[in-house]
Amino acid sequence: MTKEVIIRFDHVTKRYDNDAVVLDHVSFEIERGKFYTLLGPSGCGKTTILRLIAGFTEASEGDIYFNGKRMNNVPANKRQVNTVFQDYALFPHLNVYENVAFGLRIKKVKNSEIDRRVKEALRFVNLSGYEKREITEMSGGQRQRVAIARAIVNEPEVILLDEPLSALDLKLRTEMQYELRDLQKRLGITFIFVTHDQEEALAMSDEIFVLNQGKIQQSGTPTDIYDEPINRFVADFIGESNIVPGKMIRDFEVEFAGKVFECVDQGLNQNESVDIVIRPEDLEITSWNEGKIQVKVDSQLFRGVHYEMICYDEAQNEWLVHSTKKATVGEKIGLNFEPEAIHVMRLGETEEEFDKRLESYQEAGYEQ
Amino acid sequence: MKKKSVWPRVYLAFIFIVLYAPIFYLMFYSFNSGGTMNNFEGFTLEWYKELFGDKRLLIIVLNTIIIALLSSAISTIIGVLGALAIVYMRKKTAKQALLSFNNVLIVSPDVIIGASFLILFTMAGIKLGFTSVLLSHIAFSIPIVVIMVLPKLQEMSSSLIDAARDLGAGHWDVLSKVVLPYISPGVFAGFFMALTYSLDDFAVTFFVTGNGFSTLSVEIYSLARRGISLNINALSTLLFLFTIILVAGYYFIMQRNSRSAGAGVQK
Ligand SMILES: Nc1ncnc2c1ncn2[C@@H]1O[C@H](COP(=O)(O)OP(=O)(O)OP(=O)(O)O)[C@@H](O)[C@H]1O
Ligand SMILES: [Mg+2]
Repeated sequence: MTKEVIIRFDHVTKRYDNDAVVLDHVSFEIERGKFYTLLGPSGCGKTTILRLIAGFTEASEGDIYFNGKRMNNVPANKRQVNTVFQDYALFPHLNVYENVAFGLRIKKVKNSEIDRRVKEALRFVNLSGYEKREITEMSGGQRQRVAIARAIVNEPEVILLDEPLSALDLKLRTEMQYELRDLQKRLGITFIFVTHDQEEALAMSDEIFVLNQGKIQQSGTPTDIYDEPINRFVADFIGESNIVPGKMIRDFEVEFAGKVFECVDQGLNQNESVDIVIRPEDLEITSWNEGKIQVKVDSQLFRGVHYEMICYDEAQNEWLVHSTKKATVGEKIGLNFEPEAIHVMRLGETEEEFDKRLESYQEAGYEQ
Repeated sequence: MKKKSVWPRVYLAFIFIVLYAPIFYLMFYSFNSGGTMNNFEGFTLEWYKELFGDKRLLIIVLNTIIIALLSSAISTIIGVLGALAIVYMRKKTAKQALLSFNNVLIVSPDVIIGASFLILFTMAGIKLGFTSVLLSHIAFSIPIVVIMVLPKLQEMSSSLIDAARDLGAGHWDVLSKVVLPYISPGVFAGFFMALTYSLDDFAVTFFVTGNGFSTLSVEIYSLARRGISLNINALSTLLFLFTIILVAGYYFIMQRNSRSAGAGVQK
């Protein structure tokens, strides 16, 4: 598939009534047919980005392009975009069938065609047989699925989903994750999906934008973002991680927890202060003598697939460990890890600088 | 079961008796063949016959109904538009000002409204009669409609409108397919309120009816002043029954609507 940019944000800033800035010079590109996720904590501006794309609100500064055309002033009803709203926004005076049919009726689609497409959309969201129900007679999760059906039935170029699975139980949620992903691939529609659940984001996306306080912190594939978080915020937000202060002694050598370790990072200044990230599942427990770091187990929880331990080293750094092996609380153990497991983050590095640095590794012959 | 005090019920019964007794007294004597309201001599429908034989009175009844229907229909349209304008007004201060004006109109005494309409119509050179009564009824009904429609509009989540626009609806579709159906209980309530206000309005109408034109409440007043005739009783009885039917109809419609209402606020 050729890369085709369908939506482009160019330094878009949004503020409400001259209050604080909600979006701060946000720029990104959305390619046709991919599954994107906006990920970030509550209030970071995820819904605002969707509202800008859908046309419910206007950018204070900057340009929004759709298929190469500037569309800042195109009204919402003229945009090839459909939204699944965070509060569902189903029409209470219409039943399930008519809610889903609403968009098609506006477009004056033939009745037989409407019937076929509405039934298909309802079948997709597992709501066949609920056509005649009133919205008040549906549960929260069922309403959410009606909202999804109402958006996909129009087969737009882009679908915006604002936390569409938040009201579902774990089983249905996982099922819908698979089905949404499957549907997206089948229809080839571009999905922009909002969530603050990082596991959901990692599982579903082609590309993730991590947002914080109105700024895109990092964008990339789930593995990029998980393996190479750009800063403390992203590392902390995406998955659980151990973040400790450290110092880059020279290329391939870093100091933290009072020791010097071999690593795979290079191109930083000598003796530069950095943050070190090690994922809990990359830590392996061994005996006190064999470990690279010596820690004491402070607490332990059984999480089903693994044990989760919180340990402290002598410098009182906290280490979160995921291990299939069991330890005992109060026991002194050693932790082992590969040089590749150490991820070095420069303090205050921008995404561009970060990308450039990663490229330079590859030029230097290092492949992941 | 806990034994409840009987006094609240006695009190309620007392209040209702005080309120309804005069009406039933009036209705009772409308069937009196004696011709006075002092002693009941025998049952008769004579007064009703006389009533229906009275061409002038029938025309007045017709006038009253036409005025009520027309004024409530027109004021409902204007009132709904007004409520929409108030809700979707950008400026907070202008919004507050409009709302306050609206509320002042509702609480201000009918006599003052009537007198000011009289002055307005004579200054504007509008002949007192059908038009002046209709205009004044429309005018005092609009704030009532606005008050009945506003809460529904305010309770409606703005994301419903966003959703409609998102699905391709233009302004007219949004209004006719989403907003109006949503607020229809409020619109009905406003219409019926306007209807009853118009039907039984005396004070304002009294000021602006000319010589040739009259409505029921004004007519009953002048009949009552002229002296006792059981015609009035018969007329009042019919009017009372009509109001009961209106109220019953109103509740019926509300019941039907309440099923779909209240669905907009859930998350
Ligand atoms: N109409 C508005 N007027 C003023 N401020 C607003 C308005 N809408 C949103 N905001 C502010 O903009 C910021 C971003 O809001 P937004 O709805 O985009 O957050 P979000 O990332 O979707 O959060 P959540 O995960 O809780 O839904 C918030 O601080 C919010 O208070
Ligand atoms: Mg949101």
